Amino acid sequence: MPQTAKNENIEKGNMQKQPSENVKNTEKKQKRNYPFFAIENPIEENRIPVFIKTMEAVLKDDKYRLLLDLYLNTCASCNSCADQCHLYQTTHEEKDLPAYRSNMLRAVYRKYFTTSGKLLGGFVGAKALKEDDIDNMIESFYRCTMCRRCAVECPMGVDNALITRIGRCVIGELNLAPKNFTVSSYQQLYGVGNTSSIPKEAFIDTLDFLQDEIKDMTGHSVEFPRDKVGAEYLFIAPVSDYIMEADTLMGTAMTLQAAGADWTIGTGYYDAINYGLFYSDTVTADALNKLLAEAYRLKVKKILIGECGHATKTAKLFVDVFGKHQFPIQNVMEYTAEAIKKGRVKLNPEVNQETVTYHDPCNLGRGLGIYEPPRNIVKAAVKHFVELQPNREKNYCCGGGGGSVTVPDMYNFRMNLAGIKKVEQIKASGAKYLAAPCANCKKQLKELVEYHKLPVTVVGVHDLLIRALLM
Amino acid sequence: MAKVNLGGVEIEIDEDGFIQDPNVWNEKVAEALASTEDVPNMTEEHWKVVKYLREYYLKYNIAPMIRKMCKDTQVDLKHMYELFPSGPAKGACKIAGLPKPTGCV
Repeated sequence: MPQTAKNENIEKGNMQKQPSENVKNTEKKQKRNYPFFAIENPIEENRIPVFIKTMEAVLKDDKYRLLLDLYLNTCASCNSCADQCHLYQTTHEEKDLPAYRSNMLRAVYRKYFTTSGKLLGGFVGAKALKEDDIDNMIESFYRCTMCRRCAVECPMGVDNALITRIGRCVIGELNLAPKNFTVSSYQQLYGVGNTSSIPKEAFIDTLDFLQDEIKDMTGHSVEFPRDKVGAEYLFIAPVSDYIMEADTLMGTAMTLQAAGADWTIGTGYYDAINYGLFYSDTVTADALNKLLAEAYRLKVKKILIGECGHATKTAKLFVDVFGKHQFPIQNVMEYTAEAIKKGRVKLNPEVNQETVTYHDPCNLGRGLGIYEPPRNIVKAAVKHFVELQPNREKNYCCGGGGGSVTVPDMYNFRMNLAGIKKVEQIKASGAKYLAAPCANCKKQLKELVEYHKLPVTVVGVHDLLIRALLM
Repeated sequence: MAKVNLGGVEIEIDEDGFIQDPNVWNEKVAEALASTEDVPNMTEEHWKVVKYLREYYLKYNIAPMIRKMCKDTQVDLKHMYELFPSGPAKGACKIAGLPKPTGCV
């Protein structure tokens, strides 16, 4: 077809111009602008060849090859994902359509990696990659909170959040990731040893403080055991809890002691967070292996992850893929629900009279199917429980998922766009307390409550147990 | 990294206004930083929190747990937000000359 051939030539022409444009940019030492968020040391040259080479490697990777071939070849453009996306439902902007976003990657895939795309170009949705496309991908891939609500309803079974992740990993090779991811991951892997940069002495001081605080609040002597070799469980929380979430940690330690758990904290490594899930397989593997190495050092039998969705999902899903050691991995929701069911933990719900609702963190719910254990805990600990509507696999993201909650530049986006559906849900519930077992969700929800002046208090699930536990 | 004049001294700050070298901090710098954090007047209570944070940081190289900060300074969380509208982890730490928190804080 002449028209297509012409388009092809234009596209080819652009491709051929690219290197000389790059040279010109280098000569002028012209810096690119990254308006969406601060980026540390972005790669400015040869972005297109690096992008395509990285994508080629991803497509050959055993973990992704089959899924990507399926997802990138399969989209009926029916836009049923549009009805599911909390962001698109708020903005109604094309760039927030899950299918539109995925098409940015799909067009490159078709152009460079399929015979039909190479031959027929735009006629089959293939498009040569341009510099502007890469810049547009930064914003689009990071506006998606990777909540996977669209994946639940896609009639073709496409998981757009996985495509977002692959897209982020590919542009991540150009160092195009939020500065807070790269700075925090650097601290975790090569610096202080955790994403919040808490030195060991400060960490131990905090554990001592928490023990004293439980004693002051409840009169109970509860220990945060440290470096106990051979314990059944290594307990590891998202490290930011040791700055932000005293109640969650105290409630968890009290529950574990009440249940008679044989557990320990490792002072060699104490951060379950893994930002690799949001932008890099290398970081995913390295952070996970630091966690597994600590479990190996302490000769524990299992790893118990605190109130954190992405940390739990990353560990559970990637331990077989990247793990240098193998350990069974549990989330503390599963542990506590089981302890209540077996009668090892007894609760008095009379002490929690206010209405409580529950937010399903995407990575625990849609990510891992952990819907009922947290509900069973909350229902046993409080007198009045109401569901958010919708809930479970249809629950809305808090609006801070995909790591966006840690990116300071995205605050207004989270408050005014990504979090709006959540605000509506919370308002409609009429609850006085909103329980969310995820550090990421809690930070976003607390900020939403403050920003929108909602009459609700955000807590962790184990926070509710501090007073309800019969010890 | 941008340089700005804080309390009469040229100081390097990051994109969120946190000073890069905690050693250049002094009370004049704190007052200048406070004006960027919706804290027009540093009252005695503000100084109590800021100096406590500073001391903890010099000992442990990190800010304390927020609960510990509230307990040790006898300022409850609600009042902490009244004193420092952008919150204890951001506003108060910035004024005390601590580096920007990393991770999920």
